[in-house]
Amino acid sequence: MLIRSINRVYKMSHLYKLCGTIALFLMLLLANAQVKAQDAAAGGAAAPAAPAGGGGDVEKGKTLFTNNCAQCHAVTSEKVVGPGLKGIKERAPGGDWLHKWIKNSSALIASGDQYANQVFNANGKVQMSSFPSLSDADIDGILAYIDQAGKPAVTADVAGAADTKNAGGTGGSGPTSGGPSELFTLVLVALLVVMLLVLGVLLVIVTILSKAVSPVSIGEGTQIPSTFSQRLKTGLSNTFNNPTLRSIVIWLFLLVAAKETIDGAYGIGIQQGYAPKQPIAYSHKLHAGQYKIDCNYCHTGAQKGKSATIPAANICMNCHGVIKKESPEIQKIYTAIEENRPIEWIRVHNLPDLAYFNHAQHVNVGNVACQTCHGEVEKMEVMEARSSLTMGWCIDCHRRTEVNTKDNAYYDKLVALHRKESKEPLKVANIGGLECSKCHY
Amino acid sequence: MITKHKSVTALAIVGLLFAGTSCKKDHDNTGVEYAPQMYDAVGYEPYRQIRANTINPQGLNMRLPARGTVARPNYHTTFGTGANATTDLMMYNIPADSIGIAERVLTNPIPDSEKAQAEGQLLYTRYCSHCHGAAGKGDGPVAKEYKGVPNYSSDAYKTMNDGHIFHVITHGKGRMWPHGSQITPEDRWKIVQYVHKLQQG
Repeated sequence: MLIRSINRVYKMSHLYKLCGTIALFLMLLLANAQVKAQDAAAGGAAAPAAPAGGGGDVEKGKTLFTNNCAQCHAVTSEKVVGPGLKGIKERAPGGDWLHKWIKNSSALIASGDQYANQVFNANGKVQMSSFPSLSDADIDGILAYIDQAGKPAVTADVAGAADTKNAGGTGGSGPTSGGPSELFTLVLVALLVVMLLVLGVLLVIVTILSKAVSPVSIGEGTQIPSTFSQRLKTGLSNTFNNPTLRSIVIWLFLLVAAKETIDGAYGIGIQQGYAPKQPIAYSHKLHAGQYKIDCNYCHTGAQKGKSATIPAANICMNCHGVIKKESPEIQKIYTAIEENRPIEWIRVHNLPDLAYFNHAQHVNVGNVACQTCHGEVEKMEVMEARSSLTMGWCIDCHRRTEVNTKDNAYYDKLVALHRKESKEPLKVANIGGLECSKCHY
Repeated sequence: MITKHKSVTALAIVGLLFAGTSCKKDHDNTGVEYAPQMYDAVGYEPYRQIRANTINPQGLNMRLPARGTVARPNYHTTFGTGANATTDLMMYNIPADSIGIAERVLTNPIPDSEKAQAEGQLLYTRYCSHCHGAAGKGDGPVAKEYKGVPNYSSDAYKTMNDGHIFHVITHGKGRMWPHGSQITPEDRWKIVQYVHKLQQG
């Protein structure tokens, strides 16, 4: 019965997933329709805006802009590194000034030009790269592109936003702001319904069973124990006095207890699944998974030394000196730096001191991927010890793993000696991977 | 009457289930250790400290090196063989704000070779590509968030020389922060070589 009810829950969850997808699909449909409507509206507005670009090759300007300018400037009024360039022609003192600025802004600032100095100071005194190789025609093209791209900016923006919504939606993550909480309540309601159903089924079973029990006593013609409690009492005392049943129960208990004790003893010193709460809620899933930052970028020691090293705050600052500074978690790094106090991360992989392990030996020489021992860190929100780090686990891998002897003269003689004795490829176990003193000394 | 007993049984089952699951080892617990004195090092170990240090400030085992300490380079400083061998200790004292000096003074001591290029590419993938993109177009996954990452093959960047690139990796420039502490000078020069390749577009 239990299995059936679980099945039912499973089915129900499928049903609700289906409902969720349908709802998501409907939302997307709605978003699409909106985009279409806006496109239709924009069609009228965009058409007369196009010829206003004039004076430069817009297509060429676009290419030049993406290659040279887009890293620091947006065509909208949004500030990226430098100011947004929407309406730059109207804002600047003149076309000539713009040409001079783009070709060599620092020279213009040095010449004492008032507007140049004003712009320089207003943008945090960050020097703009010089572009002496751009011709006047090139600059005109870029300006024409900015002019054109900036004008229908509103509709372009909305369409862009809807596009990202679409892209997210097909990914299945449902990025709509109210989405998760709505889904959550939906799931809760679904669970409640399922639970009520299960309760109903159980009630039905109980009534059927009690009906099935009662007629037996009627057949004997004696006064039947009328209440459920009395029947339960007699039933229980009967089973309790049954010696076979009693011994079965005792043996079962002993077996289970013995198994639990042995399991517990084997688990001593094993920290598999250990995932402590760290002082800063750092997410490997975000950094290594979403942004694809290489493990070695922060754990610089993995290729070079025994310890993979935990990054100091200066490596965090490589990015967070500029982005997401306001986040309370990142503010903790700033506090640590200001107080000149290291961040006390909690060590997750605690290999006992009685065993020697060297990262460089495995990662650099052995070419073992980080994930082999640490699991899919790029999917972990909280860092967790995935491997047991027991001796058996080490030895297993040493027995399995072949040594990469290709193009390495160091192994030539070893390989030749090994060939004489065995036809198997050279494994780590063959070059001392099982020697006690390699790891315990 | 029946309902009353059922609720008692249900409660008992729920209680048992709860007790059964709550006994599991939770994620914040390292569990039992047998003979912890064999687990914890007697000497000071990096990245591991069991009890507070009574001598050092803030109770930490680690200390800053004495003032004026010079790290001994544990990387190659001599390249080439025989008469062509060049030695460069790669200890440059060019101030962070003097990129012009770096441009004039520094040259890559590592001769251009396929091996160095391949190593440079590997190092570039590790340390640079998440921002600068696999092909140096400034389109890495971080760049979208970070903004202002240049395209190596664009006009202003495609002519930058050895010294300039080395100096930028070491000390940073504009929005890019210094990466000198993460990458050894030898590795930086290898990256420089690969960046030259990316500058060609």
